[in-house]
Amino acid sequence: MSAPLLDRPSALPREAVPPLVDLVVALADNKHALGLRYGEWCTCGPTIEAGVAATAMAQDELGHARVLYGLLEELPGAPHRSEHEWAAEDARTVALVQQSFPSWPHLIVANVLLDQALGCVLETALESRYLPLRQRARKLIEEEQFHAIHGAGWLRQLGAEGPGVRAGLESIVGEAWADTLCWFGPASGGALAPLVQIGVLKEAGDAVRQRFLTLVGPILRGAGLAAPLRCDGDRWVLTETLPWSQWNESPRRVRHA
Amino acid sequence: MQTVGSEPVYEVFARRVDGEPLRHIGCVAAPDDALARVYARSIYDEESWIEMYVVPRHAVIPVESVRTQAVDAHA
Repeated sequence: MSAPLLDRPSALPREAVPPLVDLVVALADNKHALGLRYGEWCTCGPTIEAGVAATAMAQDELGHARVLYGLLEELPGAPHRSEHEWAAEDARTVALVQQSFPSWPHLIVANVLLDQALGCVLETALESRYLPLRQRARKLIEEEQFHAIHGAGWLRQLGAEGPGVRAGLESIVGEAWADTLCWFGPASGGALAPLVQIGVLKEAGDAVRQRFLTLVGPILRGAGLAAPLRCDGDRWVLTETLPWSQWNESPRRVRHA
Repeated sequence: MQTVGSEPVYEVFARRVDGEPLRHIGCVAAPDDALARVYARSIYDEESWIEMYVVPRHAVIPVESVRTQAVDAHA
């Protein structure tokens, strides 16, 4: 018999609240920032269609952030967030979205790496025992499917432009790599492990990282890009260790030198 | 014209309710089928379509046209 659903914040074990708050804040802040960055390209994409698609993804991400901020309002101890602010002073975002994207390839790399990484984490909540999270996750994941198609399609197009463009993309991927791959947490999930134990999340850490690599590995390879991973049978594995000594778990980001 | 700039054109078709004919609602220029799907969804989302399709313009076979060369090319 499956464990009963947790239908309100007061039903959560007390020790599960802080890691859940940290996760939802980081998810929502990154989605909010990603939405703002996508939106900055609404009138200056490489084609009108690309600009409109960036606008649509911006709307999606800002909407997702609003939904997740709504989840925070119910959780005790959550920091204040307002959908009317451009960005909270203590926003828990990764480096890639803290500044405007200086080029379209930056947007595409964020689309392929960060956007998909956040989607992979949300997927772990599709069958969550915590009902308010479970109810929100499904709609968000449905919209993310088109973001994934957009990122993969554009990376393939850019990769075909030639070695100069590919080198530029590899550099941007390198900038975003550690932040993205660490986002899932250390091997057993770190602070997210208690949420897995009580069924709020299905999995964390290496299990989600492996699923992400299975999605992203073929996309990077298909675009002709070198990245610190290799295909090992039906698995994609990292060829470099991640900088866990610089990982800050509460805001879910790597301290950059 | 089959392309805008260097990108192929895709015709976009959709229907709002079951039983309604599939109707042409516009077109997008995209480098491949996958991005054509994304662009059609983002540009023509003003209505709650129950179905939407993109078709490469080159795959549409003319039957009759005042531009006879278009028909002749497929004869």
